[in-house]
Amino acid sequence: MAAESPSSVRKVVVHLRATGDAPILKQAKFKIAGSDKFAKVIDFLRRQLHRDTLFVYVNSAFSPNPDELVSDLYTNFGFDGKLVVNYACSMAWG
Amino acid sequence: MGVPTNWDGTLSSSEFYVSARSLSEKWKTTYPALPSWSWNSCARPFGCTSVEIQGYLSLQHFCCPKFVEEEIGDEIYEEEEPTSTTKDEPTDDATLAHSYDQVLHFYDLHIVYNISYRVPVLYLRGYHSDGQPLASDDIEKDLPYHSSKLIKDSRWTFMTVEEHPYLNRPWYLLHPCGTSEWMKLLLAGDAFVPEREELVQQYLLSWLSVVGQVVGLRVPLEAFKNVTTPHTAADA
Repeated sequence: MAAESPSSVRKVVVHLRATGDAPILKQAKFKIAGSDKFAKVIDFLRRQLHRDTLFVYVNSAFSPNPDELVSDLYTNFGFDGKLVVNYACSMAWG
Repeated sequence: MGVPTNWDGTLSSSEFYVSARSLSEKWKTTYPALPSWSWNSCARPFGCTSVEIQGYLSLQHFCCPKFVEEEIGDEIYEEEEPTSTTKDEPTDDATLAHSYDQVLHFYDLHIVYNISYRVPVLYLRGYHSDGQPLASDDIEKDLPYHSSKLIKDSRWTFMTVEEHPYLNRPWYLLHPCGTSEWMKLLLAGDAFVPEREELVQQYLLSWLSVVGQVVGLRVPLEAFKNVTTPHTAADA
């Protein structure tokens, strides 16, 4: 499957951008395998910010499903060689 | 841009209707094989006089994919259930491996406008293939892992059973109290704020990308491709 879509093998640069009152990360850009799921990005953010609940969104339009492939997100919404992911510390529920 | 910068993340009931039509159209074109969202007009809920548009958006008979806890690595399950939300996605090789129970569970999802919060609310009802309603335990088991965790952590502020405003029967609903806040963040959190009209068109789809995750309903990425913001203007 991965062999069919070489774009998923490639690394993707993810740019994490804080919004609202979310703290800014020391390292805001990192590389991740395109074959990884978006869940990995969310996990990374959770660990970095020591928060269980985060609101993560792309492109000022939607919140990607954790099962979405990073390469798919990049192909559709990447710009200027990177995928911009916004995060905020607000909770979606409760 | 021409949008009130103080937009609070809410919609009027007529804007909700416009957004509902837009969602249902876009869903049909991007996901023609799946059950579609349709508008149900109905009489005004009891005691309510201030809403111009009467009705709700409904997706019937959604087959909830069974979720296996967390990662199963990169195992590939090419064959999906015909009603699964991941159908027709060729590069979908790393989704969670779904294992299907012998018994299929179905869900009706309704998007109802909430007058007090001025935001859409998701109502849901689960049932067996013979129409018997699902027990709340069954529903909790059907939900993706992150949702069942939420249920345990914040039971009263996340999902509860309340009367469906149009059907007057008990349905599950996802609490709307935080909705306007994250919708504001989602659609107007950036320096770039879309025109009001565009914002209304986009609203429900963006909303569903968050709410759908709770019940395992996936909004196709393609649906967001035409959204032009400074980041994607060149791609779109």
